[in-house]
Amino acid sequence: MSTGELEARRRLPAAHAEPTVVISSPWRIGWRRFRRDRVAMASGIFLILLVLAIFPGAKLASVALGHGPDDLYPYAVGTYTLRPDGPWSWVPDTHQLSPQTSDTQIAGPVKGTPNTLFVLGADGPLGHDLFLRLLYGGRVSLEVGVGATIIALLLGVTLGVLAGWLGGLVDGAVSRLTELVMALPILLLLLMVGTGLGDGLSRFTFWGVFNDGVVQLMLLIGAFTWYYPARIARSQMLSLRNREFVEAARMVGARGTTIVRRHLFPHLLPSLVVYGTIMVATALMLEVGVTFLGAGIQLPTASWGTLLGQTWGSALNPTVNSPDNFQPWPTIAPSVAILLTVLALNQLGEGLREALDPAGVR
Amino acid sequence: MPPWAVFVLRRLLSSIVLLLLLTLITFLAFSRIPSQPASFLIDIRYATPADIAHANHVLGTDRPIYVQYGRFVWRLLHGDLGRTFRQARGGFTTPSSTGTPVAGEVLRAGAVTGAIAFGGAILLFLVSIPLGMLAASKPRSPVDRASAGLSMVGISTHPLVVALLLQLFLASKWHWLPQNGYCDFVPKTTSAQVYEPSAACSGPVGWAEHLVIPWIVFSLFFVALYSRMIRARMLEVLDEPYIRTARAKGASQRRVLFRHALPNTVLPVVTMLAMDIGTAVGICVYIEAVFRMPGLGFTTIQSMGGAGLDLPMLVGITLFTGTVIIVLNLLVDLLAVAVDPTISRSPRAGRRAFGLAPRTT
Repeated sequence: MSTGELEARRRLPAAHAEPTVVISSPWRIGWRRFRRDRVAMASGIFLILLVLAIFPGAKLASVALGHGPDDLYPYAVGTYTLRPDGPWSWVPDTHQLSPQTSDTQIAGPVKGTPNTLFVLGADGPLGHDLFLRLLYGGRVSLEVGVGATIIALLLGVTLGVLAGWLGGLVDGAVSRLTELVMALPILLLLLMVGTGLGDGLSRFTFWGVFNDGVVQLMLLIGAFTWYYPARIARSQMLSLRNREFVEAARMVGARGTTIVRRHLFPHLLPSLVVYGTIMVATALMLEVGVTFLGAGIQLPTASWGTLLGQTWGSALNPTVNSPDNFQPWPTIAPSVAILLTVLALNQLGEGLREALDPAGVR
Repeated sequence: MPPWAVFVLRRLLSSIVLLLLLTLITFLAFSRIPSQPASFLIDIRYATPADIAHANHVLGTDRPIYVQYGRFVWRLLHGDLGRTFRQARGGFTTPSSTGTPVAGEVLRAGAVTGAIAFGGAILLFLVSIPLGMLAASKPRSPVDRASAGLSMVGISTHPLVVALLLQLFLASKWHWLPQNGYCDFVPKTTSAQVYEPSAACSGPVGWAEHLVIPWIVFSLFFVALYSRMIRARMLEVLDEPYIRTARAKGASQRRVLFRHALPNTVLPVVTMLAMDIGTAVGICVYIEAVFRMPGLGFTTIQSMGGAGLDLPMLVGITLFTGTVIIVLNLLVDLLAVAVDPTISRSPRAGRRAFGLAPRTT
C-alpha cells in the first residue's frame, strides 16, 4: 500500500471510520526524539543562526558598518608598535596614512576624518576589520566543509556500494585502497598535493560563486576523506544484501540497480546523514589546518584558516611577539568561532545518531 | 594451519604489499616530475645530445622504468634515500655539487617528532588513566557526565587553536617557557653551534623546556578520546567474573580498581596508541609548524615552500613515515595475536570509542 492510498483512506468521512492507525515514518520518529534532545536542538539552532549570520549577515554587516572585509585601515594599528586595535574601537575612516611632516614622526589622520566602528578590532598589522573577516571567512570555511563532505560522500558511497554489492575483485580492490589511504598521514599528503597543484585549480571559482582556492580545497579534502563513508556503505551493503526482503525483490524480478536504489539505499541514508554532519566538522578542521600550513586558501581571501595563520610568524606579522604589542584578540576570535562551530556540528551528529538509531527508545 | 597463523601470514603479506605500493607511488612521484633528469648533472643549455645521453646513462634514467624502480627499491633496502636538492645550510645545490644524504636528515627530523610524540604519549597516559578510572568507578554520576562533556569539547578543539593559545599566553605574555625552537638533548661541540641553532642551547634542561608546551598540546588532543576509551574498557573489565571473585574475597574498591582492573584495562589501550600513529604524525605537523621545531612536519613544509620543491627530501619523509606507520600497525596486530591466540581479526576492527569521530589529521 502506497502512502498516497493511506492518506486517502485517512481522509475518509468518519461514518465508516476504521480504528485510526498512526503511521510514523522512521524520519518522523527520529524528529520526535531529536526534539527532546536539548543539546542537539541547541546545536542545530546555533548552526542555523551561524549560517544566517554568515551568508546574508556578512553582507548586511558590511553595509551597516560602511566598510568591507578587505579594506585597509592604517590607523587601526598602533603607529609604531603595529599593535592592532582591540574590540569596539572607532577607527579613522581612511585607507592612507597622512603625508609625513617630519622624518621621525608619523602624522595622525587629517583633521575631520570621520570614524568607523571595528566591532572586534583589527586583525593584524594590515588593519582589516576582524569582525567582518570572521563573518566572510566563516563563509569560505563552511563552503569548503560542506563541499568537501558532499564530494567525499558521493565518491565514498559509490565505491562502498559497488564494493559491498558486487563483492569479489571490486571489493578487494576498494578495501585495499581504503586501507592504503588510512595508513598514510592525510595531512602530509594534503600538504604535498596542495603545494604540488599550486595555482592549478585555485582560479576556478564556478564563475564567481566561490572565492579563489575554495573549489580546489574542496576537491582535495574530499579526495582524502572519502574512505569513511565508503567503509560504512560497504559494511551496510554486506549486512543487507542477503536479507529476506532483497531475496523477495529478486524473486519478483527486480534488477540489481533497482534493488540497490529502491530497497538498499534508504537503509544507508540515516547513517550517511549522521556521518555527513560529523564530516563537515572534520573537513572544516582540515581547511583550517591546511590553510594555516600554507597549502590552502591564500591571502587576502578571508577564511578561518587564514585568520589563524595571520597571527603566527607570517611575513605580515613580524612583531607579534614583543610584549608591548601583545594583542590576543586576533587569535582568540577565530579560535572561538572554530571551536563553537565544530562542537555544534559534532553534538548535532551525536544527537542525530541517537535519534535515527532504529534500536533506540521511541 | 591454526587460525592465528593464517591471520599472521595474511597480515605480513598485506604489510609487504602496502610497503611495495608505498615505494611505487613515491617512485612514480619522484621519476615523473623532473622532465629532464640529466639536468641534475649537467647544464642542459650548453650540452650536446651526446652529453645528455651520457648523463642519463650515468643516472640510469635511460633504462626501462621497471629496471629503475628495481634499483630504487634495492637502494632503499640498503638505507640509501639519495641526497637533498638543498644543501645543509640554505641554498640549492648546483648540478656539480650535491646536498646532504636524505637518510641522515630524515632520521634527525624523525628524532624530533619522536621526542614530541613519545613525551606527549607519556603525559597522555598520566592524565587519561586517572580520568578514565574516575569516570568508570562511578558510571552515570555527575563526574562521569562532566568527563563525557569535556571529551566532546576535547575532540572538537583544533590542535592548532590549543597550540596558538598556549604559545600566546604561556610564552609570549607571561614568558614562562620559550616561544619556539628546539634544543638537542645531547650537547654538541661549539663549532657545530655556529651552524645549527638547535645546538646552541643544547642539554636536557633546554630540551625539556622547549618541549613542554608541545607535549601538552599533543596529549590534550588525545586525552578526550583515550579517557573515554579507558572508561569503556574498564567498565567491561569490571563486569568480568574475576572482579566479582575479588570483591567476594573482600578486596576494597581501591584494590579492585588498581590491582585487578587496571592492568587489564591499560594494556590494550597502550597498543591502541600505536595504531593512532598516523593521527599523531598529523598533530606533530601542527605542533612543529607553530613552534618551529625541525621535525618531520616542519621539514616537509620547508622542503615545499619558498625556494622550490626538494623532491628527494619529500620522498624520504613520505617513505619513512609510511614505513613507520605500517610496521607499527603490524607489530600491534602481531602483539595482539601473541596475547590472545583466539583472535582472528585485527583488534582495530572492534574499536569504537566515540564510534564516529573520524581523523582530522
